[in-house]
Amino acid sequence: MREELNNLKNNALAQIIDAKNEDVLEELRITYLGRNGNINELTKEFKNLNDEEKKEMGILLNETKKTIEEAISSKLSEFKKEKSNAWFDYTIPGKKYNLGHIHLISQTIEEISNVFEKIGFVRVRYPEVEWDWYAFGALNFPVDHPARDEWETFFIDTKPHPKFGAMLLTPHTSSGQVREMQRVKTPPIRMINIAKCYRRQSDVSHYPMFHQFEGLVVDEGINITHLKGTLDYFAKSVFGQTVKTRIRPYHFQFTEPSFEVDFSCTICGGKGCKLCKEGWLEVGGSGMVHPNVLKAGGIDAKRYSGFAFGWGVERILMMKPGLNIPDLRQLYSTDVRYLKQF
Amino acid sequence: MDITISDNWLREYLQTKATPKQISEYLSLCGPSIEKVEEKDGDILYHVEITTNRIDCVGVYGFAREAAAILPRFKIPAKLKKLNPNNKINKIDNLPFSVVSDESIVYRTLGVVLTNFKNRKTPDWMQKRLLACGVRSLNAIVDITNYVMLETGHPCHAFDYDKIKYKKFFIRLSKKGEKVTSFDEKTYELTGGDIVFDDGDGEIIDLPGIIGTKNSVVGPETKRVLLFIDNNNPTRIRGTSMKYTIRTMAASINEKGVDPDLGKSALLRGIELYQKVCRAEVASAIYDDYPKPAAVKTVITSKAFIEKILGVDIAKDDITKILTSLEFSPVWKAETLSVHVPSFRARDIEIPEDIVEEIARVYGYFNLPSRLMEGKLPDPLYKSPFSLEWKIKNIIKALGGTEVYTLSLVPNNYLDAEKALSLKNPIGPESKYLRSDLVHSLVTALKENKGDYESLFMFELANVYLQTVGDLPEEKLLLGMCFDGYKYVQVKGILETLLNDQLNIPVSFEKDPPSEKINISSAKTPIGYLTERDDGIIVSEIDSQALQKLYRPLRSFVSIPKHPPQIEDLTLNVPAGVEIAKIMQSIKSASNLVSDIGLSGTYKNSFTFRVTYQNPEKTLTDDEVAGQRNKIRRVLKEKYSLEFK
Repeated sequence: MREELNNLKNNALAQIIDAKNEDVLEELRITYLGRNGNINELTKEFKNLNDEEKKEMGILLNETKKTIEEAISSKLSEFKKEKSNAWFDYTIPGKKYNLGHIHLISQTIEEISNVFEKIGFVRVRYPEVEWDWYAFGALNFPVDHPARDEWETFFIDTKPHPKFGAMLLTPHTSSGQVREMQRVKTPPIRMINIAKCYRRQSDVSHYPMFHQFEGLVVDEGINITHLKGTLDYFAKSVFGQTVKTRIRPYHFQFTEPSFEVDFSCTICGGKGCKLCKEGWLEVGGSGMVHPNVLKAGGIDAKRYSGFAFGWGVERILMMKPGLNIPDLRQLYSTDVRYLKQF
Repeated sequence: MDITISDNWLREYLQTKATPKQISEYLSLCGPSIEKVEEKDGDILYHVEITTNRIDCVGVYGFAREAAAILPRFKIPAKLKKLNPNNKINKIDNLPFSVVSDESIVYRTLGVVLTNFKNRKTPDWMQKRLLACGVRSLNAIVDITNYVMLETGHPCHAFDYDKIKYKKFFIRLSKKGEKVTSFDEKTYELTGGDIVFDDGDGEIIDLPGIIGTKNSVVGPETKRVLLFIDNNNPTRIRGTSMKYTIRTMAASINEKGVDPDLGKSALLRGIELYQKVCRAEVASAIYDDYPKPAAVKTVITSKAFIEKILGVDIAKDDITKILTSLEFSPVWKAETLSVHVPSFRARDIEIPEDIVEEIARVYGYFNLPSRLMEGKLPDPLYKSPFSLEWKIKNIIKALGGTEVYTLSLVPNNYLDAEKALSLKNPIGPESKYLRSDLVHSLVTALKENKGDYESLFMFELANVYLQTVGDLPEEKLLLGMCFDGYKYVQVKGILETLLNDQLNIPVSFEKDPPSEKINISSAKTPIGYLTERDDGIIVSEIDSQALQKLYRPLRSFVSIPKHPPQIEDLTLNVPAGVEIAKIMQSIKSASNLVSDIGLSGTYKNSFTFRVTYQNPEKTLTDDEVAGQRNKIRRVLKEKYSLEFK
């Protein structure tokens, strides 16, 4: 046994010195030191030895094992050292990992939703295909009123409803206002309805489908200062603390008073540029909910009041500085060279 | 409605030192919105957006009235020069004229006859102003009617008096089939219900409030002119104008409801201009039929109500000042406020909220503070789907999917046109139908990118629209995916990772003969499908609502075994026609110590399975593993006649 151990040791050391690479070294380690390796094989023969010899061989075996381990270890270090002295090009381009892409519109919707959810708004999504009553009638539009013109609505080719009128593709998320009032029934209401809208716009720079987000707050004592506070909160959350907001007189059938909402230009910082109007960007409309709309929603207009606003998701996205998308239609491109930039 | 106001014209009615920039800025903050200020030919032009409820501002005079109320709030003195044309008329003759009217459709009619037009050439200053407002100059007689409209805000019309057979207008509604030819030579066949002037013998000689007709228009041979003003039912005007698409400026103004009280001043202004510019003379009495002048409207509100909507306190004095400047007449009785509404705002002001708007806008919205709501929060939405939808998108992004938004409206070859909903007024045939699947749109999107990629995975989470009798369609939210340059195993792997692994929804794949669809099922219920098309594109749709129902955020924890497993590879040749899933199932059930089995490699029809043996109580020995292996070998031989390699 002593001789066998010695030979084993010498063979091992010779092979280790000769080893060309780490793989060979690993093979040697398994051969000699592995579970079924040479050293362990020898231990099987221990049963033929007496106690005295067992003790002696045990020590020798452990010494041999240790010697081989150290030789392997030091050869490994040699390899490592060679490696670190070898030419290693750190400028080599990194491996490409191809993640997919979430659309900018989805990202913007998520961002908008998060801002409002922080101040207690409940996110909902109301139908794209609606009745005339929810889209116009309940919102205080008389039949055949010129104000309906601006909404350039798509109508569905189907029988109208005896109570709710024609079926159409909703041109604005305001159609969700009365639905929300009917859902919640008793204020407080803080709704953020984000959904697809459709308008039959014949000019080249518009896409017939787009996204809007509609806010509705109804409670006791809601007044214009709360509307201002809310849109100011939104503006600052999305565009930074230095952005300013203002509201100006406008007209919608479903709000009284009605307002046009402007943010200070996010592109030029309010100095004035070719995209803004004297430093202000028009964001969208808003107003105090008209009492007829509250009534249509089954809400007591004497006890409760509210405000609402409805703006374009794409509009908010286009206002983000540094994005540089030339026009809104690009957002609906299916060209993957474009989508991959998101 | 977009209009143009000339600055030097404006200042004939507005006395102020305000600069155009100040007028533009301050009016936009408190009243009509000035979109652009343009310098042109020595004048300044304001491009203004007039909202449908503020037709009182459409003329220079109404605009000046607004400015006179608003500018002083910014410490800029401004005074309105009242519209007070001379009403002492010397008539040289008493020519007859009258109207047989219908007060349900026409609220007021005014007319006067003029003769001896010594000049018919429109002076330069008038031409310039008309052009600036986008109105063509024709001759002085017609131009003055347009000038009066632009200045006072009330449209009016000039007729050739000698073309009016009985010197009378008979006002009625049109009958179906009647024809009328406009002065610009267009003939319209009427459908009935339009307000028309009949000459007494059944011939239509005007489409009032909209456009003049050829048979009564003023021409170079006209000797005597009837200057006429009609104030009509706005809904009828709009109906006629939209039906035949005659969108003149007069129609756009009249359909919004002009103040009938304005009619007299407008007529007198017209006479003034004919006398001044054309040196014409009045040859008849002024005809004025106003059977039902609107009663003065009063709206009642209170200081408390005003402050409730504004959110701030406001002094009674300030309220009075603001309303008075707008020509409203406020009367206080303690804290109650009765407001008499001027006739030119009667259509717009109905409820107390309207009064509050008048006060608030002139007070200045910019003077109000910004506050967030303080009250109770609403209850959250039961089973809100949005966070899972976002999570799903992020998982698919990690798996290499690119999100796309395609149009919900599709051509008829994308679906069964009989079953689908379609638009009455589509933009074109390509976008006429409401889609009932996502796959067609996604495949089109994929194909539009041919050549730009080696492999492409696109996805969309969107509604499809399924017709429901007597109700709105069902809007079904689907997850649509399509793959090009992907092998079936890759797509299946993506779906298994998404569903089994990430959403904790165990699914199985079942063929659905005779179709080529492979159903994705959870507990035998299909929740989606995938199909490989002939062109190699693989498509899949999954019902998002099913995902919402089946999703589990947490899995049941599996304790980690105390002893190491034994893992080995077994390779088999599996001929075509034998399903691998069945082989793997057989291997797994052959031995109760097989804790896992996976496919680690394939080459042609050689399949290498990685088998994991695990005994929770102990580490298995080589012999014990061999025993289990033999069980597997036996089952494979008996069931499938297969041998390990």
